[in-house]
Amino acid sequence: MSETQPSHQHNHGSVTSYVIGFILSLVFTIIPYLLVVNKLITGDVLLFTILGFGILQMFIQMFFFLHLGRGPKPLYNVIFFAGTAGTIMIVVVASIFITDNLYRNMMPDEVTRKLAQKEGIAQVGDKPTGACQGNKRNHVVVITDSEVQPLLTTARLCDTITFINDRDGNVELVFGTYNQTVSYGGEDKVLLDDGRPETITLNQAGNFIFRDRSNQGIIGQFSVE
Amino acid sequence: MTQHHPSAETEAHEAAADDRTMFGFWVYLMTDLLMFAVLFAVYAVLRNSTAGGPDGAELFSPTLALINTLLLLTSSFTIGIALLAARNGLKQQALVWFGLTFLLGTAFLGVELYEFYEIMHEGYNLRTSAFLSSFFVLVGTHGVHITSGLLWLGVTMYYVAKRGLNRSMVRKLSLLSLFWHFLDIVWIFIFTVVYLMAFV
Repeated sequence: MSETQPSHQHNHGSVTSYVIGFILSLVFTIIPYLLVVNKLITGDVLLFTILGFGILQMFIQMFFFLHLGRGPKPLYNVIFFAGTAGTIMIVVVASIFITDNLYRNMMPDEVTRKLAQKEGIAQVGDKPTGACQGNKRNHVVVITDSEVQPLLTTARLCDTITFINDRDGNVELVFGTYNQTVSYGGEDKVLLDDGRPETITLNQAGNFIFRDRSNQGIIGQFSVE
Repeated sequence: MTQHHPSAETEAHEAAADDRTMFGFWVYLMTDLLMFAVLFAVYAVLRNSTAGGPDGAELFSPTLALINTLLLLTSSFTIGIALLAARNGLKQQALVWFGLTFLLGTAFLGVELYEFYEIMHEGYNLRTSAFLSSFFVLVGTHGVHITSGLLWLGVTMYYVAKRGLNRSMVRKLSLLSLFWHFLDIVWIFIFTVVYLMAFV
C-alpha cells in the first residue's frame, strides 16, 4: 500500500460485514411482510412503517454491502448519492403531492357529475349536482338496422333510458343538439356492444338528439322536461 | 507490471485507476437510479387508476414477492462473498460463489416471469389499465437489468475460468457486484412500494 492512496484497502468490507448486512436485511424484509400479511396494524401507520423499513434496509445495504462512506478519502460517491437522493425526493414526493392535489381540487366537471350520479349525491352544500335520487320511469329505445324505435322519447327529469342494440355490429352513440356534439349527463358517448343494453339517467333537461358516430341513419331524439 | 513485487508507483497508479473506474460506474448507477425514481413516481401516481380492472391486491401474491426478495437478497450476499474471494485470489471459491449468485438470479427471473405469465393468463396485460402499464414497465425494467446483469455475470465467469484473476479482472468484478447490490436495493423498494403497499 502506498502513501498516496492510504485508503484503498479499507473499504472492501469483510465476511463479517456481509453476514451482518445479510441478517439485518432478512429481518427487515420479514418484519414488514408479516405486518402486512397479518394486518397487525393498518392504514397510514402501516404504510409509513413499511416505507420506513424499506428506507432503513436501503441504508443497511449501502453500509454493509456497498461499504459507502467508509475510508478516509473524500467521499465523492456519497456526495453524488446525496445529490441524487435529493433529486429523487423532489421528483417522487412532488409528483405524488401535485397529482393528489390536482385530483382532489380540480376534478373535471364531468367526473364530478358522474361521481355524484354514481353515489346519488343530489347536492353539495346548497348547490344541486344534477344527480337523481331514486329513478323514476324507464324508457326503452331499440336500435335495429333500419330504424330507431321510438324516434322521439319524452321523459321527465330523473327517468332512465335503456338503449338496446339489435343490429349486428356495435353502435357508438353520441349526443348533441342539432348542430354539435355535447356530452350528456357526464357521458361523452355510450358504447353499445352487440346485444348488450345500456341505461343512462336523464339528469339534464332539454331536447337532445342521439346518433351513431359512424352511421348517419341511426338517429333519434329525447326530450327531458 | 510484475505480479509479485509491484512497485509503490505502480500500485498507486492502479489504485487511482480503481477509484476512477468505481466513481464513473457509480455516476452511471445514480443516473439509472434517477430513471427508476421516475418510474416509481409514475407508479405511485397511477397505482389507483385501474380503469375498472383488477388492482394490486387482486393480482399480486405477497408470498411470491417475499420469495423473490429473499432470492435476490441472498444473491446480493453471495456476490459480496464471491468478490471477497476474488480479491484474495481464490479463483475456485470465487467461481463457486459467483455461480451461486447466477443460479439465484436466474431463479429470481424465473419467479418474476411466472408472475407476469399468471397475470397475463388471467387476461390482463400492459394495456388493461394505467396501473398495470406502470407496474409492467417498472418491474419489467428491473427485470431487464437483472437479465443484463446475468449475462454480464456469465461472460465474466467464463473469462475468470479461462484467464484467472488479475487486477483488471477484479476491478470488473467489483463493478459487477456494485451493479448487483444496486439492483437489490431497487428491488427492496419495488417489494415495498408495489407489492406490500398493494395490501395496505
